[in-house]
Amino acid sequence: MACLHDHSCEDHDCSTDWSLYKHIDLSKVSALNEARPGSVKSVFKAWEERLNSSGEHLESNEGDPELLVFIPFTSDVKIKSISIIGGADGTSPSKMRAFINRDGIDFSDAQSMQAIQEWELAENTQGVLEYQTRYSKFQSVGNITLHFPDNFGADTSKIHYIGLKGEATQLKRDVVATIVYEVMPNPSDHKTRAESGGVSHVE
Amino acid sequence: MVLEATMICIDNSEWMRNGDYSPSRFQAQADAVNLICGAKTQSNPENTVGVLTMAGKGVRVLVTPTSDLGKILACMHGLEIGGDMNLAAGIQVAQLALKHRQNKKQQQRIIVFAGSPVKHEKKVLEMIGRKLKKNSVALDIVNFGEEDEGKTEKLEALLAAVNNNDTSHIVHVPAGPNALSDVLISTPIFTGDGEGGSGFAAAAAAAAAGGVSGFEFGVDPNLDPELALALRVSMEEERARQEAAAKKAAEEASKQEKGGEQQASSQDATMTERASASASEAETKTSDMMDDENALLQQALAMSMDDPAINQEAKDTDMSEAASDDPELALALQMSVSDSSKDSSSQSDMSKLLADQSFVSSILASLPGVDTNDPSVKDLMASMQNQSEQKDDDKKPPSEEEKK
Repeated sequence: MACLHDHSCEDHDCSTDWSLYKHIDLSKVSALNEARPGSVKSVFKAWEERLNSSGEHLESNEGDPELLVFIPFTSDVKIKSISIIGGADGTSPSKMRAFINRDGIDFSDAQSMQAIQEWELAENTQGVLEYQTRYSKFQSVGNITLHFPDNFGADTSKIHYIGLKGEATQLKRDVVATIVYEVMPNPSDHKTRAESGGVSHVE
Repeated sequence: MVLEATMICIDNSEWMRNGDYSPSRFQAQADAVNLICGAKTQSNPENTVGVLTMAGKGVRVLVTPTSDLGKILACMHGLEIGGDMNLAAGIQVAQLALKHRQNKKQQQRIIVFAGSPVKHEKKVLEMIGRKLKKNSVALDIVNFGEEDEGKTEKLEALLAAVNNNDTSHIVHVPAGPNALSDVLISTPIFTGDGEGGSGFAAAAAAAAAGGVSGFEFGVDPNLDPELALALRVSMEEERARQEAAAKKAAEEASKQEKGGEQQASSQDATMTERASASASEAETKTSDMMDDENALLQQALAMSMDDPAINQEAKDTDMSEAASDDPELALALQMSVSDSSKDSSSQSDMSKLLADQSFVSSILASLPGVDTNDPSVKDLMASMQNQSEQKDDDKKPPSEEEKK
């Protein structure tokens, strides 16, 4: 389990760094072109389980290696780096493009839009590679969309693990407070300062 | 209750003038579209539906996905028939319209009415299908109208390319007496993968199909509860009566060989009557039960005096049959059996006692409301001397009557 840091891993536990998966809103995670609906949720797990391929993994449809993964967070996060573990035999994705804070991106949008950052990926079945982000652009991320346009030559693309490293800020992006909708105006709900006993001058 | 945005693609080509679907193919299609819009908006108020036409001058979006049913119905008016259907372009424009829906949380669905021949190649349709599947758009195809060679095959291939986990469906509607909308109501296009519009579908089926309804007795309990209740009660009474008659016939047939068991069968009939009466809980039967009890009592006493051994067996079998569905009745019958057994054993003693007139008169005198000088009582005493067998019968019912 070699890490790319300058120190050796016996001193600390890498898993605490890769703990952003706890802040992912798993119920709203979605993917396009996945072969089994809902299988995308299985790629977000703890660092220790990243090599555990016994469970489900994300696979694209036959003959089409493109994948699009939408990841919303429960609060704003700062993402420092991303790690991807793909499948063997060329099913690993070869490119990754990221979009920040955009809802409802589909393939035609992803292909035409300018990504906030793009990476060339290497085949990384042991999970030792991490891809750093331009940190200044990933400061308050409410959701991130990852687009994998191509792989290393196989019919389908497989992803076993997506890891995110960074910190959570405990802030929510656009929280809608409980709004009371009035069908008819009710004067008692709107007390003016004059009624409540304040003093106002008109000059 | 799945949140969905739907685009309906209408075929308004020249082939829709044909009258093999009543009143015309186009009108049948319009009715089906109206029903679908109603079903979708009813299953979830946030659902949106849009409509576009595939033929005419070209593919034209009549209304973008909206939840306003009035707008959708209004745009169906004044549609012109003409031109040629362009299935591929229609589906692609529908996909574009869905992509720009306001609420991105809605699932995307396209419903296509394919009434005229399909002029595209199978490969083109499969490619369109794969693109829909990739963007997780579901597709429902209604294959009606022209039965072109290869049309069914092409549409099935399109469905196979789109289908992801059975979210897409195809329905083939041949021309016939049933209206297009009636056939569609029972399909997954309406029922929405097993949930959602089924309530609407049931109501629509009841309204549209007229006499054929899914309700018991052909009467909707919501519309006319009293009529439905009366029908149900009369049905149950008839069933109970028929059961009793059948049982009586069966009992009589089986008891013929035993000989002289008329009382047993009639007693059984009364017992079954009692059982069924208690089961149906009808008020009119309570008075019947009183009479039955008296008759039952007489029968039991008569039997106990005739021949204790045989009658007891018959009684046991009859009672076990009749009491199988009423445990309280079984308990009561068991007690009466044990009583009558005691009675029969001590019958000889009792008869001797009762033969003693002085003893009887003293008993009668102790009874409240009985005047020993009453002529009817005197007659009774006299008759008791003569009829030793039926003395209990005569004594008890008159004494009951006098007590009353």
